Amino acid sequence: MTWDRVAVVERQLDTFLASAEPAPRRLAPDEPIAAGAGLTAAIARALLEDQLVSRQLDVAARELKKTDRSFYTISSAGHENNAVVGARLRVDDPAFLHYRSGGFVMARARQLAGSTPAFDTLLGVVASSDDPIAQGRHKVWGSRAMWIPPQTSTIASHLPKAMGLAFSLARAKRLGVASGLPADAIVACTFGDASANHATAQAGINTARYAVRLGLPMPILFVCEDNDTGISVPTPSGWIAGSFGNLPHLRYVLAEGELDQVWDAVGEAVQHVRTTRQPAFLHLRTVRLWGHAGSDAEHGYRALAEIAEVESRDPLLRNARRLIETGAATPDELIELVRDTRQRIGSLAEEAARRPRLQTTDEVVAPMAPSHPERVRANATATVIDDDTRRRSFGGTLPEDATLPQARTLAGCINAALADELLRRPELLLFGEDVGRKGGVYHLTSGLQKRFGPARVFDTLLDETSILGIAQGAAHIGLLPVPEIQYLAYIHNALDQLRGEAASLQFFSSGQFRNPMVVRVAGLAYQKGFGGHFHNDNSIGALRDIPGLVLAVPSRGDDAARMLRGAIAMAAEDGRVVVFLEPIALYHEKDLYTDGDGGWLVDYPAPPSALLPGEVGLYGATESDADLLIVTYANGVRLSLQAARRLEEDHQLRARVMDLRWLNPLPLDAVRAHAAEVGNVLVVDEARATGGGIADAVVADLAERRVGRRLASVRAVDSFVPLGPATSAVLVGVDQIVASGVAAVGRRRSAQAARA
Amino acid sequence: MTRALVAFPGRGAYTPSSLGSLVPEHPWVMRADDLRREAGRPALSELDGAGSFDPAVHLRPTNAWPLIFLAGLLDAERIADDHEVVAVVASSTGWYTALAAAGALPFDDALQLVGAMAAAAETPLPDGTRPADLIYPLADAAWMPDPELRRHIDEAVTTSDGELELALDLGAFAVLSGTSEAVEGAAGKLPPVDLADRAYPLRLGGGDAWHTSLRTAAVADAIAALPDLAWQRPNVAIVDGHGRRHTPFSSVPAAIAEHTLREQPVTTYDFATSLRVALREYAPDVILLPGPGSSLGAACAQLVVREGYRGVRSRADLEAAQRSANPILLSMRR
Repeated sequence: MTWDRVAVVERQLDTFLASAEPAPRRLAPDEPIAAGAGLTAAIARALLEDQLVSRQLDVAARELKKTDRSFYTISSAGHENNAVVGARLRVDDPAFLHYRSGGFVMARARQLAGSTPAFDTLLGVVASSDDPIAQGRHKVWGSRAMWIPPQTSTIASHLPKAMGLAFSLARAKRLGVASGLPADAIVACTFGDASANHATAQAGINTARYAVRLGLPMPILFVCEDNDTGISVPTPSGWIAGSFGNLPHLRYVLAEGELDQVWDAVGEAVQHVRTTRQPAFLHLRTVRLWGHAGSDAEHGYRALAEIAEVESRDPLLRNARRLIETGAATPDELIELVRDTRQRIGSLAEEAARRPRLQTTDEVVAPMAPSHPERVRANATATVIDDDTRRRSFGGTLPEDATLPQARTLAGCINAALADELLRRPELLLFGEDVGRKGGVYHLTSGLQKRFGPARVFDTLLDETSILGIAQGAAHIGLLPVPEIQYLAYIHNALDQLRGEAASLQFFSSGQFRNPMVVRVAGLAYQKGFGGHFHNDNSIGALRDIPGLVLAVPSRGDDAARMLRGAIAMAAEDGRVVVFLEPIALYHEKDLYTDGDGGWLVDYPAPPSALLPGEVGLYGATESDADLLIVTYANGVRLSLQAARRLEEDHQLRARVMDLRWLNPLPLDAVRAHAAEVGNVLVVDEARATGGGIADAVVADLAERRVGRRLASVRAVDSFVPLGPATSAVLVGVDQIVASGVAAVGRRRSAQAARA
Repeated sequence: MTRALVAFPGRGAYTPSSLGSLVPEHPWVMRADDLRREAGRPALSELDGAGSFDPAVHLRPTNAWPLIFLAGLLDAERIADDHEVVAVVASSTGWYTALAAAGALPFDDALQLVGAMAAAAETPLPDGTRPADLIYPLADAAWMPDPELRRHIDEAVTTSDGELELALDLGAFAVLSGTSEAVEGAAGKLPPVDLADRAYPLRLGGGDAWHTSLRTAAVADAIAALPDLAWQRPNVAIVDGHGRRHTPFSSVPAAIAEHTLREQPVTTYDFATSLRVALREYAPDVILLPGPGSSLGAACAQLVVREGYRGVRSRADLEAAQRSANPILLSMRR
C-alpha cells in the first residue's frame, strides 16, 4: 500500500484505460451520449479534456512543491464536475469561485478566445508576478475578461457579495448605470459543504430568499460542491439536502450520477435562475481526493480503506468510463489524451516556475491603496449642480443658507451633503437598516428616500454582513454604494466583509476589480449617558488594522460635509473602501463651551469644497509660541477645545488643537510639523487605552523621529462602556485633558525656571 | 524529445529569394501541379522554377498563396524526428497550411480552399476599387511595445469611415488594409517612423484587404462555389487567428470550418495572440519556422521577448538565446 495517493489515483485511471474496451459504435460529435440526454459527444469530450487539465494542474502543483517552487496545493481533484457549471454558464455571468474550481475555470476559458487558463493557473501556484490576476499575491481563481473576481475566502465569505451583485443587476439597469453585463446575466458562487454552515453562507442565502419574498429579482446560482468533508470533519449524511432542499424561495437541484445527468441537472438550475431571476441551490456531489491540501495527512484521520473507497469514485475515472461505454471516445484516444496532457502541463509548470516573482515591498503593496489626490480632488469637484436645481431639491432653501440650528449640526450637514452627492452622482446608493422610510435612527438620511426614490435610498434587512455584501456586489458593477451600519459595535459581526473581502479586492486582483464604497457608521461614545456599550462603542482598532482601508472621523458639520465629498471621490476615483465614522454624540450637538452658545453649529459648506486625507483641522493658538499641541479627533476635538480654554484661563497655557480628521492613513506629516514647532504634545484619544486607537501610533512616530520635547497622551480606560453616568469613569474627560496638559507643559516651565 | 511549435508564414512570404523552394518531383508538388492545370492555372513548380521573380505573377494571390502553402507544407514534412510538434500556429493565409499540416483538411481540399480564397482576394472591393495594405510598427528598436504607435493605428482605423481595418496584428507590426484611398490617407496621416533602415508607414505590394470586412461578399461567393470539404479533428493542436485552441481530442471540425471560412478571412488575424496562447499553453522548447523565407522570425522573436518566455525579456536576451546551443527560434529557410 502506498501513501502517495496522487500516484494511486493516476494509476487507477491508467489501469482502467488500458483494459477498457471500445464501444461497438462511435458517436458523431453532435449525438447525445445517452438517449434523451442533452449532453453531446463533442461537449462531453471538451468537458473531460478540461477536467484532465484541471487534474494535471493539481498534480503539477504538488510536484513543484517537492522542490519548493510552488506555494499552494489546495486542489480541485475530485471536484472536476464543476466544469459542467463552467460550461453551462456564460463568460459574462459573474462567478465567485472557491478554491476547488479548476474544472470550472478551464471550461469557462474555452468560451474566451485567447485565454490561457492552464498557464495562468500555474503562474498563481508558483506566486509569479506574471500571474495575470493576483500577480503573485495569492493563488486565486480570477480573471477580468472572464468575469471571475478573485476570492481568497475559505469560509464562504464571498456569498454575501455574490448575492449583492445579483441584487444589483436589476438596480443598475433601472438607474441607467451601465454594468457591462447583459440583461439576462446571472451570478454564480461556489462553496463546499462544510462552508455552507458558515454564518456568511447562511447570510448570503437567507438574504437572497428574503429578496424574493419582497418580490425583488435575485438571479443567483448557489453551487454547493459537496464532498462530504470539511478538512477532517465529515459532514453528516444528508445534511446539505436536508438543510437546503426544502427552503421557501430557493429552488433546490441535485446534480449527481453520470456526466450527462450532471449536465442536465446543472442546465436545469441555470435555466431556472436565468429565466425566473430567482435563486437556485445547486447541490453538486463531488469527492475530495488527496486530502484538504498537500500538507494535510489524510491517513491521520481516515482509514486507508475509506480513502481508497473515495478514490474509487474519482469523477475522472467515472467520466472516462462513461465516454467510452457510450462511444463518445475510445480508450486509445483517452490514453493519448492523458499522456499528452501530463506532458503538456508538466512542461507548462517548468516554464511557470521560471517566471519572476514579486521582489520589493513597493511591488507587493502597489495595488492595495491607490492614491491619486489630484484626480480625487478633480472628481470631487467635477460635476457641479446648479443652484436652481439644488434649491428645488432642497425644498426652496439651499442648505448653506439655512439658519435653523438643526440644519447646522453635524447631522444636518451630513444629511445635506448626502443629498448633494445623490444629486450629482446618479450611481450612488444609500441603504441600511432604517435608512429609508424612517430616515435613520438619528435622522441622518431623513427625507432622502422621498427625494431620491426607493431605488436609490432603501431599507435593508437586519444583517450587517448582507448590507456590506450588497455594497460590494453593487460596487462590482459600477454603482457607488454608501451603506450605513447603524452602530459601530454592529460592524464587528460583519468585519470580515471589510477586512477579508472588500478591502482586499484590489490587492488580490492587482487593481483589476474594485468595490468602491463609503461605509457610514454611527459610533463612538459620550451619548449623554445613553445606551451602554453597544451604542457607545469606542473600539476603532479593528478598522485601523485593515490594510488599505480609509478611516474618516469628522467632528464638526462643515468638516463632515467636505470629508464626505472627499471620501466619496476617493471611492469613485481610486476605488477605495472608506469607513466614515460619525460620532453619534455630536450629531445634534449645538454648543461648545456653555449651553446655548451655539459654538458647535456651522454653516454648511456649499459644494464642491472637499477635504482629503492629510488635511487636518487646527484650532486655538496658531502662533509659534504655543505651549501645547493637542492631537485628537471626534469627541476629543470638542473636549480639547473646552480644555484649551481652561488651560488658558486657569493656567495661562496656550494650546493648539489639531483635529486629525483621518485616522487611516494618519496625517503624520502634519502632526510632525506642528509637534516640531510647538514642542509639547498631548494626544487625546477617546478609544480605549491599549486598544487600537491612534495614541500609540502618534506617540511612537514622534518618539522614533525625536520630534517634540515632551509627549503625553490621555485615553479611555480599558473597559466596555457602561450604562448611565458611570460612562465618565471610563471615558476621557476635560479635567483629565487639562491636568495632562498642565503636566506636559509644567515640567518644562519648571525646568526653565530652575535653569534661570 | 524537443517540444516544437510550428509557425507557418502567410501572405507576403514568397519573395524573390523563395524561388526554387519546391521539389518538383515531390508527390504533393506533382499533385498540386495536376490540380492547378485542371483548374487552368499555371503549375506551381513552373512558377517556383522561373528564372526570375516577376511581381506581377509571383505576388498574385492565386499564385503566391498556393506557393506559400506548398512550400510551408514541404518544410513541415522535413521536421526532424527529434522534434515532437505540440502545437501549430500561422500568420494570415498560413492558416491554410496549418490546417493541412495538422490534418484538419486533406491535402487536396486545403489546396482547393487556398485557391478559392486567393481568387476571392483578387476581386475588386464592393465599390469597384482596388484594395491596398500598409504596414506600421508597434514596437521600438529595442522591441518594447510602444502604446503611442498602437494609438496611431487605432486612430487611423476609427477615422477611416469603415474603409480601413486592422488586418493583421503581428505584435511588433500591424498591417492595415482597406480601400486604396483609405490606405493612402492613412499613409499620409500616420507619423513617420524609421526602424531598422526602413521608413514606415510602408505600403505593401499587391494589397488584397484580406482579413477585413470589406471581403465579406467576395468570401461568401467563394464559399458558395466550394464543394464540401472533409473537415476533421486535427492531429495536433492548432491555435487560430483569434487565439482559440483546436485540440485533437476536443475540437469540433465544424467550428474549425466556421473560423476558416466565415471568421478568419473577414476579421483581424491576431497572430500576436495566437503565438502567445501557443507559448503559454504548450510550452514549446523551440519555435520552428517553415518557409518560404523567414519573415515571421522577427515577429516571433519580439513576441517571445514580450512574453518573457524562458526568461527572455529583452532583445539582448533573445540574441543570447539564439547564440546558445538551444535557440528558441529555428528558421527552416536560412
